[in-house]
Amino acid sequence: MSAESSLPSPAREFWSGFAANRGALAALVFFGGVALAALLAPWIAPHDPVEQYRTQMLVPPVWDGGSWRFIFGTDELGRDLLSRLLHGGRVSLGIGLASVLLSMIPGVILGLMAAFHQRWLSPVVMRAMDIMLALPGLLLAICVITVLGPGLVNTVIAIAIGALPGYTRLARAAALAEIEREYVVASRVAGAGTLRLMFVAVLPNCLAPLIVNATLSFSAAILETAGLGFLGLGVQAPMAEWGGMLSSARDYIQRAPWVVTLPGLTILATVLSVNLMGDGLRDALDPKLKRVS
Amino acid sequence: MLSIRNLRVQFGRFPAVDGVDLDLAAGELLGIVGESGSGKSVTMLALMGLIDAPGVVSADKLEFQGRDLLKLSPRERRALIGADLAMVFQDALTSLNPSYTVGFQIAESLKAHRGLRGAALEARVLELLELVEIPDPRRRFKAYPHELSGGMNQRVMIAMAIACEPRLLIADEPTTALDVTIQAQIMDLLLRLQREQGMGLIMITHDLAVVAEMARSEPPRGTPGAPLPPEGAAPPRERPVGGARVAVMYAGQVVETGPVPDLFELPRHPYTQALLAAIPEHSRGAARLAALPGIVPGAQDRPAGCLLSPRCPRVQPRCVAGRPLLEQGVRCFFPGSAHV
Amino acid sequence: MFDDEQVLLRAQDLARHYKVSQGLFKPKATVKALDGVSFSLKRGRTLAVVGESGCGKSTLARQLTLIEPPSAGSLEIAGVDAASAPKDMLKGLRRQVQMVFQNPFASLNPRRSIAATLDEPLLINTSLGKAERRERIEALAAKVGLRSEHLRRYPHMFSGGQRQRIAIARAMILNPGIVVADEPVSALDLSIQAQILNLFMDLQAEYRTAYVFISHNLSVVEHVADELMVMYLGRAVEVGDKTTIYARPLHPYTQALMSATPALRAADRRQRIVIKGELPSPLNPPSGCAFHKRCPLAEARCSAEPPLLRTVDERQVACHVI
Repeated sequence: MSAESSLPSPAREFWSGFAANRGALAALVFFGGVALAALLAPWIAPHDPVEQYRTQMLVPPVWDGGSWRFIFGTDELGRDLLSRLLHGGRVSLGIGLASVLLSMIPGVILGLMAAFHQRWLSPVVMRAMDIMLALPGLLLAICVITVLGPGLVNTVIAIAIGALPGYTRLARAAALAEIEREYVVASRVAGAGTLRLMFVAVLPNCLAPLIVNATLSFSAAILETAGLGFLGLGVQAPMAEWGGMLSSARDYIQRAPWVVTLPGLTILATVLSVNLMGDGLRDALDPKLKRVS
Repeated sequence: MLSIRNLRVQFGRFPAVDGVDLDLAAGELLGIVGESGSGKSVTMLALMGLIDAPGVVSADKLEFQGRDLLKLSPRERRALIGADLAMVFQDALTSLNPSYTVGFQIAESLKAHRGLRGAALEARVLELLELVEIPDPRRRFKAYPHELSGGMNQRVMIAMAIACEPRLLIADEPTTALDVTIQAQIMDLLLRLQREQGMGLIMITHDLAVVAEMARSEPPRGTPGAPLPPEGAAPPRERPVGGARVAVMYAGQVVETGPVPDLFELPRHPYTQALLAAIPEHSRGAARLAALPGIVPGAQDRPAGCLLSPRCPRVQPRCVAGRPLLEQGVRCFFPGSAHV
Repeated sequence: MFDDEQVLLRAQDLARHYKVSQGLFKPKATVKALDGVSFSLKRGRTLAVVGESGCGKSTLARQLTLIEPPSAGSLEIAGVDAASAPKDMLKGLRRQVQMVFQNPFASLNPRRSIAATLDEPLLINTSLGKAERRERIEALAAKVGLRSEHLRRYPHMFSGGQRQRIAIARAMILNPGIVVADEPVSALDLSIQAQILNLFMDLQAEYRTAYVFISHNLSVVEHVADELMVMYLGRAVEVGDKTTIYARPLHPYTQALMSATPALRAADRRQRIVIKGELPSPLNPPSGCAFHKRCPLAEARCSAEPPLLRTVDERQVACHVI
C-alpha cells in the first residue's frame, strides 16, 4: 500500500498555497521589512525621535532640497521624521500585536466554551457579544479611553475590547460546525473530556477563519491606533505615533506636505500589506481542504 | 445511436478517461460498472459536454444520432441537452435547486425546449409527476425539494429528465444514496419508462447486482423455503427492448463488455472476475472474501503497461511491457474464462 | 479476560426519545428514535443491525458507545449497568466499547498525524509510557496493513480503504470487548470492501471481539453476521440467528428488504415483494404496528395495537399476522 501524496504535512502544503499568491508574497516581504525596521528602530534610527532641533524645523526630505542629515525631513518641532516613523512603527505594530493577542485568546476561549455548552452558556455569551458589537469600533474605543484615560496601555485595552466579539462569534460558529463531525465523536468515544475536545480536537480545525480574522484585525488595530492618536486620545505626545504625527501636522499640509504625507503613506502601505497577507492566508487555508480530494 | 471511439479526458497530466470505446443502439440498455477512479461518471459528463477547464476532452469519434458532439456550438448543445439527451444524477437533494418548487424546475426544460406555457405547461408537468408515480401530484407540484424524501426527489429528477421524451437517458448512480426498498422502486420505474418510451438507457453504477437485475427476463425463482408471494405481488419484469449490455471500466478504460447475464456468468477479464469474486455471496460459507490486493492507480502511479498489472493475479511480463487493446469485448493479453 | 459464554452486552427495552420544536406556538413533538430494543451479545459473536433510514440504528450506536444516556430501558456492559455506574467506572466501561464510523473521510482528525490519532485513546485511558504506547501503535498498525512510515502522515494522503483501516486500528487499540461498526464498508468500493471485511473477520478471530455491525447492505451482513436484528422505525421487528432468518424470513418487512436487494445471480434472487409508499416520518408514526400502512399482510388488528416480539420458528418476530 502506498500513500499518494509526497507532501509530508499541512504546513508545507499551506506554504505552497500561500506562496502561489504573488501579491501576498510581496506583501509578506514588505511587511517583514517594516517589522524588522520597527524592531531595530533604537539602533538604526539616525536621531532620537523626541529631540527637537530648533534650528531645523520643517526641513524638507533629501529628494526635495533637504540634506542627508534628515533623510525624510523634520516636522514642525524640528524632530527627525524618519526616526519618528521608525519608532512610531514600534508603537503601532506593538499595539496591533498586543491587541490581537489580548482579544483573540479570551475571544476564542469564550467562543469555544459557548459552542460546547450550548444550552446555558451560549445564549449569555452571545447576547453579551451582541451588545458589544452594537457600538461601532472606534466609538467603543473612545468610550473606553474616556473611562480609563489615554495612553499606550489603555489604547491596547480599548482596541482589544472592540475586537473581542468578532473572535467569539467566529470561534463559536467554526466550533459548532466541527463538533458534530465524526472525528470529534470518535474522540469522545475514546474517552476525551471537554477540555481535550475543545483544544486538541476542535480548535486546530477552526484556525483558518481565526487566523484570517487576526491579520485583518491587526491592520484595523493600526488604523484605530492612528485614529485615536489623531484625536489625541491614544498614545500621548511626545511619543512618536503615526496617527499623532498626522494630527499635529494638520496645519502644515500646504507649507510642508511631507510632514503629513509620509506618515499617511506609511500607514497606508503597512495596512495594505497586512490586508494582502490576510487575503493570501484565507486563500491558502480554505481551498486547501477542497484541493486535497 | 451513440458512438464513442477513443474518448480521452485529461485533467492536467491525469487521464481520468483514457481511451474509451462505447456503442449504443436505439432503445438499448447499457450498464457501466466501475469503482471510484474508473472514470465512468467523467465519461458521461464528457458526453454531455459538462467538463469544464482544466479538463480537456478529445475523441476520435463522439457521435449522437449522427451528430458530432465535439463540434457543437453552445447553442446547438443547449438545444440537445435536456431534450434528446438527458441525465439523472446521484444525489437528488443537491442536484435540485432548493429555492424553487419542484413543479417550477420540471417546467423549466419544458419551457426551454418545447415552448409550453400556462395551462398546457401545468398539465404536462402533472402528467409527468403521475408518470413517475408521485402520489398526490397536485400538492407535490408546489413542494420544495427539502420537503420531499430522497426517493421522491429522485422521481422528480427523472421527471425532469424525461420531460421532453429524450432518445437517450443517462442515469449516474441514481439509486446509490437511497434505501434499498426505495432503490428497487426507482429501478423498476426507470426500466418501465425505458420500455414504454423506447429510449436508450445508460445506467452508471458501482453495484454489479443492480446491473444484473436490469435484464431479468425469467420470473425470479423463490429461494427454497421462502413463503409464497401474497396476492397482488408484482409481475416479473419483462426483458427490455433491444437487450441489455454491460461495460466494465477500470482506471479510465473499458476493460470488458458483453451482454448482461453472460458476462457475469463467464467473465473473461481478470478485473471482472475479481469483482465478481469479491461479492459476499460468492464466498458464502467461507471465512474470508476473495479480495484483490492493492488500490486503483491514481495520478502518480499509472503503470506504463496494462493498468491492472500491479494487482492482476495472472500478470505476465508482456502485461507490464505494453497496454492491451479492446478486442472482441475484452482488454487483456490473456483473457480467460473462469467460471465464477 | 472474558470467557466465551459471558454476555458482554445486554440491552433491555432500550429507548431514546428526542424533543423537537415544531415552531413557536405548537407544543414540542417527541421523536421516538429508539423505541424499546432488546438483545444480548456474547464474546466473539457478531450481531448485525439491519434497517433503512430512520430505523434508529445510528441512535442505537450512540447509545451503545455511551455518548448519550437512554430515555428508558437499560444497558449492561460486561455485567455492569451503564446508567447507575459511578463516573470512574464509566470511564472503564467506555474502554470496553469502541466504534468504527461510516465515513472514512470524516472520522479522522485532519490536523493530526495517524500516530497522534492512534495515540489518543492510549493517552487518555492508560498510564503507559511513551515507548510502550509507540510499540503498541506500531504493532497494531502492522496488523491492519499499515507501514511504519504511514504513521507520520496525515489522513488526506490516504484512500478511503486505508483510512478505514486506520479507523479500525483506533477502535482496536484499547483491545475493547465490543466494537460498534456503523456502516463501516458502505462508502467503499467493492474490492476494497472485501479487504476491509476480511480485516474485520481476522481481528475478530484473533481478539475474540464482539461486533455490533450496523449495515443496510444485506449481502455484506449475510457474510459477517452470526445473529441478525432487523429494525423499523425504532423497533426490532425480527431477531434471531442469521442462517435461520436468511433461509426463511418471516416478518413482511424482512422479506421485502431481502427481495428488494439486487442479486447478481439468479439463484440468489427472491420472490419480489412490493411494498408501497415511503418510510413514515418519525414525527408522526403510524398507530399500532409502524409497518401496517405499507404491509401487504395488514389486518384490522395491525393498526390498533403494536405487536410485541414473540418466538416463532426459532427466532423472534414482532407481527400479528405471522
